[in-house]
Amino acid sequence: MERDDPILEVEDLVVRYGHRTVLDGVSFTVRRGEVLVILGGSGSGKTTLLRTLVGLIRPHSGRIVLMGEDVTTLSGARRRELRTRMGMCFQGSALLGSLTVADNVALPLREHTDLEESTIGIMTGIKLNLVGLAGFGDYLPSQLSGGMKKRAGIARATVMDPEIIFYDEPSAGLDPIVAAGIDRLIRKMQQAFGLTSVVVTHEMESVRLIADRVCMLHGGRVVGVGTLDELERLEHPWVRRFLSRQPDDEPGTDPDFLRSLTGAG
Amino acid sequence: MTRLAGAVGRWTLDLLQAGLRVSSLMVDTLAAVAATPFRGRSARGRAAVESFAEFGSRSLPIVGMISLLVGVIIALQSSYTLERWGAQRFIATLVAVSALREMAPLMTAILITGRSGSAITAEIGTMQVNEEIDALEVMGIDPIRYLVVPRFVAMVLAVPAVTVVSMFIMVAGGLFTSVWVVGVPGGVYLDQTVQSLVARDLVIGLTKSVFFGVAICWVGVYRGFQVRGGAGEVGRATTSSVVTSIFLVILIDLVFTVFFYFV
Ligand SMILES: Nc1ncnc2c1ncn2[C@@H]1O[C@H](COP(=O)(O)OP(=O)(O)OP(=O)(O)O)[C@@H](O)[C@H]1O
Ligand SMILES: [Mg+2]
Repeated sequence: MERDDPILEVEDLVVRYGHRTVLDGVSFTVRRGEVLVILGGSGSGKTTLLRTLVGLIRPHSGRIVLMGEDVTTLSGARRRELRTRMGMCFQGSALLGSLTVADNVALPLREHTDLEESTIGIMTGIKLNLVGLAGFGDYLPSQLSGGMKKRAGIARATVMDPEIIFYDEPSAGLDPIVAAGIDRLIRKMQQAFGLTSVVVTHEMESVRLIADRVCMLHGGRVVGVGTLDELERLEHPWVRRFLSRQPDDEPGTDPDFLRSLTGAG
Repeated sequence: MTRLAGAVGRWTLDLLQAGLRVSSLMVDTLAAVAATPFRGRSARGRAAVESFAEFGSRSLPIVGMISLLVGVIIALQSSYTLERWGAQRFIATLVAVSALREMAPLMTAILITGRSGSAITAEIGTMQVNEEIDALEVMGIDPIRYLVVPRFVAMVLAVPAVTVVSMFIMVAGGLFTSVWVVGVPGGVYLDQTVQSLVARDLVIGLTKSVFFGVAICWVGVYRGFQVRGGAGEVGRATTSSVVTSIFLVILIDLVFTVFFYFV
């Protein structure tokens, strides 16, 4: 398998909620085996992009070719088959609340394979061990901390040995040590299994740690793709501000705005 | 006036649209039931059995209690009318026929709606809010097959099963009342019950209850999948699920009663 051939191609993607256009002509590619980080401000449409890529949102227009299949037109059995070859970690983990952690992780195996229960048990155990949750298999998701839930989500998303995995803010809201642990886990998954990863985040710390390439999203468009070094050399003002953590021009000092408040003018 | 017409028009359109979506959910469910009659590997058969036990056991105590009371009420009510002609032994007939044809299926359906129809909406609504449904989709697991089919099968079996229990208890309630309050001997009462019942009554009662089960499950599931937003929405959906479902149950009951009146 060649490392540089694209596993995911996104072309001119437009996504709308009602009349509001959230993504407006997004294009990029993900190469097999790399970790691509999607960076963008809060509300810039990162979650929307990820949900569209996995086929949960139907785009208004554009093409998404994932592992050679067009996600936007695929349906039925073919789509289900494609979905067994990919994984997704949701921003809020999305573990099934009625199942134990082990059952959650085992679910894709039980639904998609004819493996013996004993084999499933072993495979589940291995994945839980890998994410550092050995011994927590019998816990219910409600008995886990946020970081543990995220790791359980990663175990579930990787249990079918997918070719590509999508993470939505895997380390947001976690303490720095746990967050670093998750970053390392993402790296480990990529190095050990050659797993292609698409990671949405806005933590610059983790970007430095995990990203092969970065795709920056702003105003519904891609404003830059490349390694972090390449992006840091870009002239784009928003990219500069984002990467160096400078605030926007201070709001509220605009004279027009002040006038509109006082009703004068 | 035009505003009113507009509102009515929109309301009708919404209703039609909802009807369409419910029908497509029905078609999907039936297709899934037909396609995977418990194919062993996913252990969905076990899930159906568990749901059945849950729906049944959760409602049995309250159904038993209410059925007994309703039996007593029908007996007293009929006694009041019948004693003018000295025909109290026909209390048995009235109790048996109303219990089997109307009251047992109706009461059971309403109670199961409150107990389990609401729970179905709450469960699925919560899963919707927590993105669990999306997670199933992304794992390539069909939420209809995984969540709806077992509940559907369980509900369609549980409502008639509990209804049968309710029928017995209602007749028993009538028996106690006529023996201890009205003074009709138990033997006479039972004789009269057996004589006045025909298989048709049981069949009508059970057929109804199957349809009630279908309605309760579909309303519960549909309202659950409709939930968008947060936990508050789950509460609202649950309330509306119970109200819609009770309304539908009574509507179906009416249709059946009218139908069997003429047939
Ligand atoms: N279901 C929806 N209906 C309508 N608008 C939506 C919906 N979901 C998201 N949006 C809008 O789309 C925009 C992008 O949302 P999205 O959740 O994709 O942002 P994000 O980049 O993931 O933000 P964050 O970093 O805070 O998670 C937001 O402005 C939001 O208001
Ligand atoms: Mg997001």
